[in-house]
Amino acid sequence: MSTASDAGPAGAGGSGAGAVIELSHVSKAFASRSASAPRALDDVSFRVAAGEVAGISGPAGAGKSTLLAIVAGQLRPSSGSVRIDGIEPRRFVERQGIAYLPQPLALSGGWRVSDALTRLAVLSGVRPTYTKHRVEACMRELGLYDDRRVRVRSLKGDARLRLGLAQAIVADHRVIVLDEPLEGMSAESLERLRDLIVRLRAFDRAILIASRDTAELQRITDRVTLIERGRTRRVGASRPATPADTEAVFHITLHHGGEHVLAVFPTAISLGRSTYAVRVSGFAALNRGLRELLDRGALLACVTPAHAAVDSSALALNEVGM
Amino acid sequence: MKGRLTAYAGYQLRDYFTLRALPIVVATALAAWAFAAARGVTLAELDLTSGVEARDRVQQAFELLLVIFAFVAGAVAASGLVSHHRSREYDRVLFSRPISPVRYYWQGFVVGGIGGVVLAIVGAEVYAVAVHPVSLAGVAAYVAFAWVLVGGVAFLLSTLTAFHLAVLAVVIAADLAVDHYATAFSAAGAGPVAAGVQYLLPPAHVLVTLRGAFARGLIVDPRSLAWPVGYGVACIMIALVLLRRRPFRS
Repeated sequence: MSTASDAGPAGAGGSGAGAVIELSHVSKAFASRSASAPRALDDVSFRVAAGEVAGISGPAGAGKSTLLAIVAGQLRPSSGSVRIDGIEPRRFVERQGIAYLPQPLALSGGWRVSDALTRLAVLSGVRPTYTKHRVEACMRELGLYDDRRVRVRSLKGDARLRLGLAQAIVADHRVIVLDEPLEGMSAESLERLRDLIVRLRAFDRAILIASRDTAELQRITDRVTLIERGRTRRVGASRPATPADTEAVFHITLHHGGEHVLAVFPTAISLGRSTYAVRVSGFAALNRGLRELLDRGALLACVTPAHAAVDSSALALNEVGM
Repeated sequence: MKGRLTAYAGYQLRDYFTLRALPIVVATALAAWAFAAARGVTLAELDLTSGVEARDRVQQAFELLLVIFAFVAGAVAASGLVSHHRSREYDRVLFSRPISPVRYYWQGFVVGGIGGVVLAIVGAEVYAVAVHPVSLAGVAAYVAFAWVLVGGVAFLLSTLTAFHLAVLAVVIAADLAVDHYATAFSAAGAGPVAAGVQYLLPPAHVLVTLRGAFARGLIVDPRSLAWPVGYGVACIMIALVLLRRRPFRS
């Protein structure tokens, strides 16, 4: 069995503080006629902290997809404990949802690309007034806009993978779980994915990516955990955090006083209906800005986090001027 | 973030009418045609100008169509839900959303029931205008009754097996066969045994027996509905509990 010393929570989980995803001694055995059948996962422990992008690498059949399905709440571990934000994954998913790219991606073949993304955005709870922009932004972000009327069954390989990524990020989620997003991806799409991961990175978000491509994982993640035959073998070094890791976008809705927003948040963009997207480096900066807005006489109606992934392109579509 | 399942009901209803309505109508027509062919019924016998007997035959043909439609629509209300999603792995993407699988499938099942009732009302209205008056409320109630019983059993089977439609056909055929046997051999003492077996099988024979009363808008004794409705509701409840405990394949 792998132990905490070679792949335990401390070794495999970054700082440990602020862990969003936490697996402790997780094993998974599938029903088999053979008593000697190996476990899909055997005593796996690791953490993914808020603001971290973690990678899981290993050969085919190593247990990566099983691990991700457990994190996504779609499989229950045979033993051990899995927590997302301190609660059992299925309950977390039903309360907050996660961005999940399963392998293989299965969507109804008769849906058109834009229809599929709209439906999944609706199910994800994206605000009705924002759904259309959000879907268009996702399609543009992942190069699917020209295929928006194509039926899902007609998409193959790279385009299908991009659709999988689009459905995952069509809503803002704190937990992102991507299973083999690199498999069969063209060089152009790979570049898109790298940009996407950089933009998805946020101080309160945990990202977990599984792939056989260890080299590419090392480029796009902070830390790569290698698993073989269901056991953790090695944990790669962490990438030092950058200032961009702690940035996040918030939507601020004002009752009045919109004329002060640019003075307080110089990079703010209007979303219309007195709502503004502001990019700040953490909660402290957000609170300082909000206090200043209130001091200037603005009346605040609502503040919600809006993760950065597709906002830039969404806002470009939706610019109405301030 | 909360998912908006209620907002998604519109998509489910649209899917019902674009993807399932036509197959239901076609399946009903084919089954009715096969039944009529087996009994040697010809279109000439259904000529309303031939008098009262012909009118009775037309009414019986309508009731036959209603029974077949109610069975098919009830089965289809649960089709394309749990087992279909599981076998095609659609549930993986769907249930990464902040929604409850139980509520999602329950809503899909209810939408299937509503769709079936709407289709039945439209069909009955066309028949009433073109051929002979029927009770629209009775037809709607009958299809809803079939949705609870046949749909409820199909919903439960769909949570248990990928072959839910085949199993449903077998258990319903078994119930009808046992009912026929019990009626035919009641004098020989087969009644109690058959009645015992029928308590295990879905009481589809009651649905068949009551078709005329519903279609003609007659008052139906609630006691005759209690067992089939109870059976269907029990199946639905068990299906929902199973879905709560086991929303995915393994």
